Amino acid sequence: MKSKTVAICLSLTVWPLLGAAPVAEIQAILAKPKILCGRFDQTKQLAGLKNPLRSNGRFCVVADKGVLWRSLQPFASTMRLTREEIIQWHGDRVAMRLNAKQEPTVRIINSLMFSMLAGDLGQLEKYFDVEGVAGDGAWSVKLKTRDAGVAKVIGAIALDGGAYVKNIAIDEANGDRTRIVFSAIQTGEQAMTSEEAALF
Amino acid sequence: MVVAAVLLHDGFLWWHERLAPDTDILTLLPAQRRDPARQRALEQMVEAAQQRVIVLIGAADWDDARQGAAVYRKTLAPYRHLLYAADGISDRTESDWLATFKNHRLTLLTSEDDAALRGQAPPYWLDRALGKLYSPFAGPHPLAWQEDPFGLFNNWLLARAQETAVRPRDHELSVSDGERQYAVLPLTLRVPAFAVAGQQALMPVLEQARQAAQQAAPRIEIIQGGVVLHAAAAAAQAQREVSTIGIGSLTGILFLIWITFRSFKPIVLVTLSIAVGCLGALSISWLIFERIHLITLVFGASLIGVAQDYGIYFLCKRLGANDPFDSWRLLRRILPALVLTLVTTLIGYFSLVLTPFPGLRQMALFSAVGLIFAWLTVVFWFPTLVHASTLKNRAVAERYGLSLTRWPRFTKNRRALGAALAFAGLASFGVSRLTVQDDIRSLQNPPKLLLDDQLKLGKILDLATPAQFFLLRGANAEALLQREESLKQRLDLLVQQKQIGGYHAISNWVPSARVQQSRRQLIDRLLLHEPGALATLAAKLGEGQSWVSVERTRLLASASPITVEEFFKSPASEPWRYLWLGQVGDQYASIVALRGVNRSNLALLQQAATGLAGVDWVDQVSEISSLLGDYRDYMGWVVMLSYVAVFVLLYPRYRRSSWRVLAPTALASLLVLALLGVVGQGLQLFHLLALMLLLGIGVDYGIFLQEPGSQQDGTAWLAVAISALSTLLSFGLLGFSRTPALRAFGLTMAIGIGAVALIVPCFRKPTAVVQPPSSVV
Repeated sequence: MKSKTVAICLSLTVWPLLGAAPVAEIQAILAKPKILCGRFDQTKQLAGLKNPLRSNGRFCVVADKGVLWRSLQPFASTMRLTREEIIQWHGDRVAMRLNAKQEPTVRIINSLMFSMLAGDLGQLEKYFDVEGVAGDGAWSVKLKTRDAGVAKVIGAIALDGGAYVKNIAIDEANGDRTRIVFSAIQTGEQAMTSEEAALF
Repeated sequence: MVVAAVLLHDGFLWWHERLAPDTDILTLLPAQRRDPARQRALEQMVEAAQQRVIVLIGAADWDDARQGAAVYRKTLAPYRHLLYAADGISDRTESDWLATFKNHRLTLLTSEDDAALRGQAPPYWLDRALGKLYSPFAGPHPLAWQEDPFGLFNNWLLARAQETAVRPRDHELSVSDGERQYAVLPLTLRVPAFAVAGQQALMPVLEQARQAAQQAAPRIEIIQGGVVLHAAAAAAQAQREVSTIGIGSLTGILFLIWITFRSFKPIVLVTLSIAVGCLGALSISWLIFERIHLITLVFGASLIGVAQDYGIYFLCKRLGANDPFDSWRLLRRILPALVLTLVTTLIGYFSLVLTPFPGLRQMALFSAVGLIFAWLTVVFWFPTLVHASTLKNRAVAERYGLSLTRWPRFTKNRRALGAALAFAGLASFGVSRLTVQDDIRSLQNPPKLLLDDQLKLGKILDLATPAQFFLLRGANAEALLQREESLKQRLDLLVQQKQIGGYHAISNWVPSARVQQSRRQLIDRLLLHEPGALATLAAKLGEGQSWVSVERTRLLASASPITVEEFFKSPASEPWRYLWLGQVGDQYASIVALRGVNRSNLALLQQAATGLAGVDWVDQVSEISSLLGDYRDYMGWVVMLSYVAVFVLLYPRYRRSSWRVLAPTALASLLVLALLGVVGQGLQLFHLLALMLLLGIGVDYGIFLQEPGSQQDGTAWLAVAISALSTLLSFGLLGFSRTPALRAFGLTMAIGIGAVALIVPCFRKPTAVVQPPSSVV
């Protein structure tokens, strides 16, 4: 009993000392498939609004191509991020289109999003301080932005998962919180439905 | 005595005033006196660009670029008296930026959103708000959702950001061209860009910073652009040329004189006359103009070739005359000829003074005064300095004089007729092919490296051009903004058709009060009040009335109108302040600058201004080019009239032989024109200026050879030969200048003088028999 208490105390004291995340270990745990698709459930709690906003849908991450985010409930909306463009459809109508030539930040945003969904910590380290733990086929990290200006908008991002990213939690400085849970993950060519492949 | 005064004045200029020549090309051109608003607009556009140097430090990896930029900045730090780099972007900058506009955001919309407000029904807006709500990540959003539920302000901010390709990143300004990331360092100069002293202090500092940055981060590429770089290169080049041309001409002339006279005294004498001429020209020009342009000095250096005519004529005559012949009597004999040569040359320069180009006036005055001083030296000092016994050696002179007899003569025989026909054929062919080239861009010739850098910079940064823009006028600020908006409607069409890249205008940031008012009302009606989109949105979200009223109050609070004054107080207005000219006379004026202007869309842009009151299209480049064209026409007439004037001047002395004096020059001018046509080189204003000068000099030679007694002693022919060779030397060297205008001038003179010198003996009077020189009395 005593040894158990000691062990727990020791591990508790050691915990804060864990600084930089073992990026290499996490990279080893992560599977890095070329095509990754699955379902997402998103819950957004905006400061000042009573009810949380829930939505769900399907997402796809294709290496070298980009990200497809298809929101199915409560209304259909599709967003596609490629290296040079962000485009969003509401139904058939194009709601937003941003091109990297006119808006240089598009490239940065897209690489960030891609890295977050694929768990590419190496890329994320360029923009964030990464802290966390890994072990036993699972890992969890916290990202803090280095740029004070960006920190004003995004407070902290927390990712965790195993072979794939399972949860993302975004806390913004003004009190907005977003939680995304991924499930039903599939990889390989058969992961994408035909309509998704067409959108790419 | 006069010379002593001149010497003193020049000494004073050198020591006290630190005689420093001007290097600004624009001061050579006439000022736009007609329109104060236009003049102010041009000045402001130029000033905004003139005192800046933009440095791009780029690498494939952003960290390399940032490191290079940091080292570059550090190297420049001790030189704050010369130039300074703005400190990196602080975190406060962005929030300061937003603060001004947040309070007015209900009136700030992009034109697309404005059209959507008028055209779309509330469900569209509901859709938009929900889309924004539910999307996980939707680009930069500096405001919370509640502050901008429909995304209107966000779109506006995005549109403003897209007016430039530069973004803040890691405390630096950055831009990317797809392959590389560049750190942008705008440097502001504290010394005037066109002062030679400033340039000489500045260029080594920039070079030092460049090397330091390159060493610290070897993979970076540095691109620099700025007016001062071009000015420094032009000044260095002009200085080199002044020394080359000046020294070259002087050496050549001295050598020629030495060969002819085999004694150093003539060299000293001729140098003396030239030196007095130059010094006199310098001091008088300074007195009148208060500044001398470098181009004037370069042109004046070739003045040497003309001024020595008088000295040489005198000396050659002295050489040919007998010993007991007093110098003063000799002077009296040749004085009429000397006077005529001076006056005919001055006619040429006088017509240049009549042009409104300050640069040409300076050059003409400088040259004319120099010639007058040299002439006076010859007339007053040479007879006392040169006695009959001074010049002995006549061998070369005699031999050369004999060659005159062998020279073909233009008489009415078949050979002459054949030559005349051949010449007529060549001339007509050449002249018929003659084109004109008035484009002022052809007058620029910057070093290739500078030009490449400038082009790259322009492409990467996508800056607005300072030479072409719209000038708008209105009775007050509100009227002006409204006019800008009506122009922008037409420009929007062009942007959609991808004819131009975009435009900058103050009304992008501060809409007119009329538009602000209408937007507020529209938003209020459509979105905020029952049964607007906001209420429906609240229902969807499950929020009650209280939420709706809180939201409405919050949004309406941000609907106060924004004014131009307030905009200028914010740091965001810094790059756009030059667009607003404020009050000029009794009107307000502003500029709308354009991105992506090239030769193909100039006509479209000019059309965009037609029919709109108070909107003027200003195109500096084509205006100056057409101005050059006008003056080319004008000079053409002046040249022809000068021929007539010279003929009138010559008539009293030469009567029927006057045409013989003029003919060689006329033929030589025709030859030059024909050659230009054959080669395909366009005729420029500067070619005509050279023809003007050619008239003055060619007539000199004609006079020398038509003087009574010139056939007998051959010394006049010697004088012509020496003079022609030295003029060829000095203007021929000008033909090697890198400045296209001077090059055109020099080549025309060289070909013309060469032709005149060869043709002029052909027009001798066909009477007297040549006798050996020694028997002249």
